[in-house]
Amino acid sequence: MLRSALNRLIGMAIVMFLVVTIVFVIVRVTPGDPAAVMLGPDATAEDIASLRERLGLNAPIPVQFLTYFGGILRGDFGQSIFLNIPVTHALWLRAEPTFFLTVFALAIAAAVALPVGVLSAYWRGSAFDQAATMLAMFAASIPSFWLGLIFMQIFAVQLGWFDTSGYGGPGASFAERMHHLVLPAVTLGLISSALITRFTRAAMLDVLNDDYVRTARSKGMSEWRVVVRHAFKNALIPILTVIGLTAALLISGAIVTETVFGLPGVGSLIVSAVLRRDYPVIQGALLVVAGLYVLVNFVIDMLYLLVDPRVRY
Amino acid sequence: MKHYALAFATSIVALMSANGSALAQTAGGVIDVATIGEPPTLDPMASTADLVGIITQHIYETLYTFGADWTVTPLLAADMPTISEDGLTYTIPLRTGVTFHDGSEMTSADVVASLDRWMRIASRGKQTAEVIDGIAATDEATVTITLKSPYAPLLSLLSLNNAAAIIIPEENADQDPLESYVGTGPYRLEERVPDQYIQLVRFEDYASRDGEPNGYGGARLQHLDEIRFVPVPDPNTRIEGAVAGQFAYVDQLPVEAYDRIAGGATEPVVLAPFGWPVFVMNTQEGLNSDLRIRKAIQAALAPEDMMLAAFGSEDFFSIDGAWYPDSYAWHTEVATEPYKPMGDTETAMALLAEAGYDGSPLRILTSRQYEYHYKMAQVAQAYLEAAGFKVQMDVVEWATLTQNRADPALWDIYITHSPFLPEPSLMGIMSDSSPGWWATDAKHAAVEAFNAESDPAKRVELFADVQKVIYEEVPAYKVGNFNALAAQAPNLEGVAPAPWPYFWNAYLGDE
Repeated sequence: MLRSALNRLIGMAIVMFLVVTIVFVIVRVTPGDPAAVMLGPDATAEDIASLRERLGLNAPIPVQFLTYFGGILRGDFGQSIFLNIPVTHALWLRAEPTFFLTVFALAIAAAVALPVGVLSAYWRGSAFDQAATMLAMFAASIPSFWLGLIFMQIFAVQLGWFDTSGYGGPGASFAERMHHLVLPAVTLGLISSALITRFTRAAMLDVLNDDYVRTARSKGMSEWRVVVRHAFKNALIPILTVIGLTAALLISGAIVTETVFGLPGVGSLIVSAVLRRDYPVIQGALLVVAGLYVLVNFVIDMLYLLVDPRVRY
Repeated sequence: MKHYALAFATSIVALMSANGSALAQTAGGVIDVATIGEPPTLDPMASTADLVGIITQHIYETLYTFGADWTVTPLLAADMPTISEDGLTYTIPLRTGVTFHDGSEMTSADVVASLDRWMRIASRGKQTAEVIDGIAATDEATVTITLKSPYAPLLSLLSLNNAAAIIIPEENADQDPLESYVGTGPYRLEERVPDQYIQLVRFEDYASRDGEPNGYGGARLQHLDEIRFVPVPDPNTRIEGAVAGQFAYVDQLPVEAYDRIAGGATEPVVLAPFGWPVFVMNTQEGLNSDLRIRKAIQAALAPEDMMLAAFGSEDFFSIDGAWYPDSYAWHTEVATEPYKPMGDTETAMALLAEAGYDGSPLRILTSRQYEYHYKMAQVAQAYLEAAGFKVQMDVVEWATLTQNRADPALWDIYITHSPFLPEPSLMGIMSDSSPGWWATDAKHAAVEAFNAESDPAKRVELFADVQKVIYEEVPAYKVGNFNALAAQAPNLEGVAPAPWPYFWNAYLGDE
């Protein structure tokens, strides 16, 4: 297992180096100038050139890359051009809403998808199965910004249960801040539940027809025990995979939802950084998201080893 | 029509409440103001962005500002300056007893240091520095500005709230970027959480001017305890926030949301007219370096259809060839004949033939950051093609546009907009170095005469000459006047519709 983990870690390092390089290059070749955005519409060309020089944007690209890469190795992601604070600090300030949004959305997705997927497979072909499959397809097809606006319209505008946007004002308590996450979490959770439902159903269908399930039944075991203790446990590997990938997707997929609900999370930070061409923030945020993605995959791989001893890398 | 009537009524009510009854109100309350995003900086010297000016005008103050009729009025200056006979020396008396948010008292040394910083880092300051010979503190409460040549826009430039000549403590004037957000304004910065809120609280030691509020000038009343600017970049979310009544004030809403907002918990506020959309011509390079081509474009465009496509209803725009609408002193109809509401395709075709147009694509640089820019461009494309142009639409996002417009090789027309600026000299095309690079002898003659004249009445007459040159040389095409839509809580009083909304006179009344 240790060897497998080591192999995986080496692979992760290579992937992260490629991510750093590709993100740096894409950000630099994208047109747009942070200095022009920062100085406003009436800034002169001389002002823009002067600010570019001060921000170090006029140095040759390879020099900028080496400086940036050296900084990363020291844990320094650079300084936000617009916020004038270290990128790591900017990301840390945005971590709370994104973390809890991801956790809540994943919890909602799993709470909806796992029972629906299992029952759908168990009652294959029934009205419940057909309805669940149809709803899952529908949920997978809905853009998150649209569903978010619909929820906003119903629960914030008409019923007044929530604020339409934001994350609480000065001095907002933890509970108040979490209250602002309810609508975005339900939005993201319901959409994410579609994929998990379909994978759960498919994985359960595979195992429900296996010999050991038939054997368990023939031994007079209760259906609940057969389905949950035997079938579901063995179907867990693909389900864990998709839940893990969903978690990683949620971190990056929260971009649209955070923007719609005005949440000051990592997703909205990425959007605003792209619009302002805040290069260090774009690079740092994408690096963190990619890192989390890689990390989640690593954890899933390790979980495979624990859940199924037959798995070897 | 009912829209217009309602909007007009809303504006009038707001104006009356802003100027009339504010003094009678009690202090207290907190308001949330939804803005279009997070400002790139809280240093209004360092940016010309309107959003920066809207927020920071509550924190910092300038020597002068604009009154309700858009004339310059004193703010930190005690009075209007004494101007020497030759127009070269401005002696500015300062108010005494004005304190900064750090408790120190403003003196002429702070003013000189601040104006030096303004000339060093602000784009408008750098522009002004070219005509300034020196700034000196005559005594503790007097500052003298000496000019190389008469320059009438000086006071307007000292009054504007973006790239602004704010007065800050002398010890902070070396900061670039600014790190100590200390001003003399009625509200001080309490906390800024980027992308979440900017919290301003009442500055208890604020020294307001005496008298009544007068636009951005006059008395600045501090009824509210706090003003919180909350960035809500998504326009649909701003609309929902306005309908739900989450905010006391919601800035810059799409005009097509008027009916929805009118049926919600906040009331629509229309600022009519707000500003102009402009097609800026690249006079330096490419197709539009040929005046005949620019004139053909001027003839081909049909502003009525362009504005209708952009704003949906005549309630939200007006067709007007004059660069300033009739509510401004600068309004004049001189030389506006080439502005045809439905275009003049035949004239355009003739001008194009005369220019020997070779079919090269006319590149229109635009963005969907402001959807109405793009819609106007689409209609313009149809009319230009009808006149014989081959049109290439370069649709990019805003950050790219702001970069590309600085390169004369990349575009022939770019689309932008602006609120009506209180001083015509602040218009982009008035500067030779502004993208478009309009610099001709006729322009210089008209603009220099306009800038050198200090008599307001004569300046109005001279602006007619400037407008005439603009129509003759077509450095830009003003499409029309458009209105701005905001939303305001029914119990928020004392807010006058303004291009850069301010809340120091605002108060919370009964629902």
